[in-house]
Amino acid sequence: MNDMTRREAEITATAIKISARNAQVYYGDNHAIKDVDVDIHDRMVTAFIGPSGCGKSTFLRCLNRMNDTIPSCRVEGRITLDGEDIYDKRVDPVQLRAKVGMVFQKPNPFPKSIFDNVAYGPRIHGLTRSKAELDEVVETSLRRAALWKEVKDRLHQPGTGLSGGQQQRLCIARAIATSPEVLLMDEPCSALDPIATAQVEELIDELRAQFSVVIVTHSMQQAARVSQRTAFFHLGNLVEFGETTQIFTKPRDPRTESYITGRIG
Amino acid sequence: MILLVVLALAAAGFLAGRMRALKSTGGDPRQLHSLPGHHGQMVLLFTAVPALLLIAAWLLIQPVVIERNAAALLAPADIPEGSSASLVMSDVRRISDGLDVIGAREGLTEAGIAALGADMGGLRDRLGAVGVALGGEVKPTVFEAAKLFRTESRGGRRAMTVTVLLTAIAGLVLSLRRIRPDLRARNVSETFVLALLIGSSLIAVLTTIGIIASLLFESLSFFRLYPVKDFLFSLTWNPQFRGGSDLGIWPLLWGTLYVSFIALLVAAPIGLMIAIYLSEYASKRTRAIVKPAIEILAGIPTIVYGLFALVTVGPMLRDYFAQPLGLGTSSSSVMTAGLVMGIMVIPFVSSLSDDIINAVPQSLRDGSLGLGATPSETIKQVVLPAALPGVVGAILLAASRAIGETMIVVMGAGAAAKLSLNPFEAMTTVTVKIVSQLTGDTEFASPETLVAFALGLTLFTITLALNIFALYIVRKYREQYE
Amino acid sequence: MTDTTAQTVPGKRSLLTLDDRTRRRNAAEARFRAYGLAAVTVALIALTLLLVSIFANGVSVFRQTTIAIPVTLDAKKLDKSGKLDPAVMAKVTTVGYAPLLTKGLQAAMEENGISDQGLKAKAIGALISQDAPAQLRDMVLADPTLVGQTISFEALASGRIDGYFKGRVTMDSAALDSNISPEQLALADALKDAGILHSRFNMGFITAPDASEQRPEAAGLGVAILGSLYMMIVVLVLSLPIGVAASIYLEEFAPKNRFTDLIEVNISNLAAVPSIVYGILGLAIFINFAGLPQSAPIVGGLVLTLMTLPRIIIPARAALKAVPPSIRDAALGVGASKMQSVFHHVLPLAAPGILTGMIIGLAQALGETAPLLLIGMVAFVREYPGAPPEGFFDPASALPVQVYNWTQRADPAFVERAGGAIIVLLIFLVTMNAAAILLRRRFERRW
Repeated sequence: MNDMTRREAEITATAIKISARNAQVYYGDNHAIKDVDVDIHDRMVTAFIGPSGCGKSTFLRCLNRMNDTIPSCRVEGRITLDGEDIYDKRVDPVQLRAKVGMVFQKPNPFPKSIFDNVAYGPRIHGLTRSKAELDEVVETSLRRAALWKEVKDRLHQPGTGLSGGQQQRLCIARAIATSPEVLLMDEPCSALDPIATAQVEELIDELRAQFSVVIVTHSMQQAARVSQRTAFFHLGNLVEFGETTQIFTKPRDPRTESYITGRIG
Repeated sequence: MILLVVLALAAAGFLAGRMRALKSTGGDPRQLHSLPGHHGQMVLLFTAVPALLLIAAWLLIQPVVIERNAAALLAPADIPEGSSASLVMSDVRRISDGLDVIGAREGLTEAGIAALGADMGGLRDRLGAVGVALGGEVKPTVFEAAKLFRTESRGGRRAMTVTVLLTAIAGLVLSLRRIRPDLRARNVSETFVLALLIGSSLIAVLTTIGIIASLLFESLSFFRLYPVKDFLFSLTWNPQFRGGSDLGIWPLLWGTLYVSFIALLVAAPIGLMIAIYLSEYASKRTRAIVKPAIEILAGIPTIVYGLFALVTVGPMLRDYFAQPLGLGTSSSSVMTAGLVMGIMVIPFVSSLSDDIINAVPQSLRDGSLGLGATPSETIKQVVLPAALPGVVGAILLAASRAIGETMIVVMGAGAAAKLSLNPFEAMTTVTVKIVSQLTGDTEFASPETLVAFALGLTLFTITLALNIFALYIVRKYREQYE
Repeated sequence: MTDTTAQTVPGKRSLLTLDDRTRRRNAAEARFRAYGLAAVTVALIALTLLLVSIFANGVSVFRQTTIAIPVTLDAKKLDKSGKLDPAVMAKVTTVGYAPLLTKGLQAAMEENGISDQGLKAKAIGALISQDAPAQLRDMVLADPTLVGQTISFEALASGRIDGYFKGRVTMDSAALDSNISPEQLALADALKDAGILHSRFNMGFITAPDASEQRPEAAGLGVAILGSLYMMIVVLVLSLPIGVAASIYLEEFAPKNRFTDLIEVNISNLAAVPSIVYGILGLAIFINFAGLPQSAPIVGGLVLTLMTLPRIIIPARAALKAVPPSIRDAALGVGASKMQSVFHHVLPLAAPGILTGMIIGLAQALGETAPLLLIGMVAFVREYPGAPPEGFFDPASALPVQVYNWTQRADPAFVERAGGAIIVLLIFLVTMNAAAILLRRRFERRW
């Protein structure tokens, strides 16, 4: 119970990082996301759950405008990062994505060395001024991703040579190396085995200290384990959004209840 | 005609086979191992295939044999200055055709036709009257050759008809006699077809063997006449009609490589940028229009590029670049051929690179874009490094294409064998010299002609090595992402 | 908790303003994109330039200048015996016909009141092609009853006159040219004004055989088209069954072993062997070894068949591969043999794809030049090859080789002919490719 109150204290204490109001997403004529209002808090893990095809990944990709790469995709409504509309004409998606990093479903290390994978972001954004500084960024990122010990002796071997779990942690290290403010994770564990999943989940919990994390998952257990707040999506609608404990113990909406009790999925 | 007979026999065989099969079980198809149709098919194949193969072989061989026999009657003196044996032989063929027409029109017997030879002047007029106009008097030996040609052609035809029919009938009878209820007719005919299929795929191997054998064989006879050392290490190319030529390959190889180098200098960046633009930036509609338009470049015959080099690019380069810069006055130059060839190989680079860039998984692009890289940074730092081996393979294939290209250099590069660096000078290539040495008037057995085979062998080896290497790289690359 | 909140504050920039670095990166992005667009544009411009220059160069060949001449076929000159026997009349050579044409032209000039510009009869006669008397002679020999009549004969104008009306020859260039004088050109102008000289559609270019160096105006593509046609027949008849059979074997029956691997590697390498090497093969094997005649369509056809085969087998195999295994399984499942499933089900489904590949392969073979040069198809051939099958062994030319042949001649009028020949060649190719595309569109199937 004590733990419970601490968590609630956190929720009220941290600021709102991303806020979506009345967000709509269309793929051509297909209305994929309808009227979504969500607040993502800073330094907290927010989980998006829901049956597959419910639009949770689509919505996640709107948060750093990855949907821009799909020509037929259109976003309406207002999504703000620190109070600034990210779909404003003056916003450069490149700058936005530097602040809102992303980790994908399948580990996708570049066909480069481990070092170059992690150094990729800092290099393109010009975050470091010297080789020593870059080395340091790479090391801290790998340490934070809990990968440093495993790879420090083979930094210059290709990243594709690592195991699946290591690759995903490499991708996380790569994402945090640009020091983003928000980290989006699109089912980061779906391609991993249980041991690797546990490592990544542990990592997410640690990352909470510095970043705001949004994770899409269709494992309810995972959402319960790692997140403080959970949003339940169904057929493009945001059905319920609240504290994770509340969602899993006292769902307000019957659809949420059916989903977490396993009747729809 | 004979073809129709054989086909009719085969069709009859099919029906007979069916009927015989049915009859063998008293009209009950269920007792047969194979369907009646299979029995028919078996008979059909045994009747038609050997006979048809025989016709094909006969048609190819008969003219050769007869031509040789007829040519043997001709004396060397019968071949006029400036003419060749093949032209005289074509006269022989035409005379013999003319004799046929005369014979038919005037109802002459064989002896009557033979007697025509008595009056050569009259013969020419009479031939002229039936549409065979001749350049001069018919020489007696030519007439004899024509007569022989005529009788042998007829005899050959008759012999062929007989043999082919016998073969067909033999096939028919033998296979018909095999029909029994328990005959596995389907298996027999299928094995037969399979053998035909295998035979067809062996043609490819035979072609390769033919290429290698003809190149090696004639190259060897060249090296018997001309030292290998000089061919490989001499720096001059200066063939003489009367022997004593310098036949060093280096000036030709230099020209070939220089032209190909310029071609790749044009095609590699343009082709690669086209591939990048089409696969990463262009909208679906643009891509649907531009991609086939660029592939048209690959479908245009090389002779068209040759003419383009000759009448447009060459004079343009000469007038606007070479002459003002004082670099040369020749409209055929390494630059001309290289530029035009560059245009030609653009689609070879762009199409293959396009495929290869598309094979780079989307997740890599997402990963890079998700980190805040711009599309061009993504392409340069993630997509291209991932696609590099494939792109190199594509460029190597284009290089092999450029090295083996003939018509553009024949019409655009010039004929002077030179080791020069000036791209506006006319130079020559291996392929140009193969054409000029083999279409020239020199005697076949002279080193000046035979050198073409050694050049061909060099060309074949270089392009083959490039191809194998390029295909190997591309295949390795594909496996990586499968 | 408090120490962590402090961390994000420094260096915080608004998303709404671009920093310098982003601006530079965006500029680099725009530049890179522009390079791509430029590359596409360059390629498209090159294609356009290529086609435009060829068409501009050759399209004029389809109009040819002719002179309508009333020719009196004087019986005294052409048929002294008066028997109208073609065999006897054939003794009068073309030299006998030329003066008739000149005289006819002079008469026409007089009638229309055209001054002869001080030219002698011979110079006036030079306006007429050297080939015209031969055509007139052929006409008379074919129909001896014309003798004694005055007929209107459309004579070809000489190459220089033709070039004058196409802008190739000018008054200035004529002044330097020993073959034509400005006076002759002026006379031609006058003839044109009188309607005697005019330009017509050039049917002869399509049907006539090649002509010698001095008479570019009479050169045509007849023999070349026929030769190309014969070769394509040979290629089609040989490569379709062999190519299909080989691809069926390799795709459906071949066991996976070293030997079939060898065949496959072989085929992909053969497809990339330079075409001229096939020419060497043809020369060495078919002509020197087998003793087939030079310049014959059969040899050209055989060489092109060998060259085309791998280029047919590769798409044919792709077409067979595209037929889903479920079709084969379905046939095998009802008890058909492997052979039956292939011939009854797979092959018909793959046929459009195979045919498309075949047509494209044929189109490539039609445009191929280099190997034909080596087997002697460059020879000057004026005689039409006979009817098949013997005609396959007669000397003939081929379209692309005829182009090459004409570019090697001195008179620039032949370059125009070469351009025209390419237009004809391209029309054939476009037709074939369009047929292939239509076939693909019509029967394209998505599984």
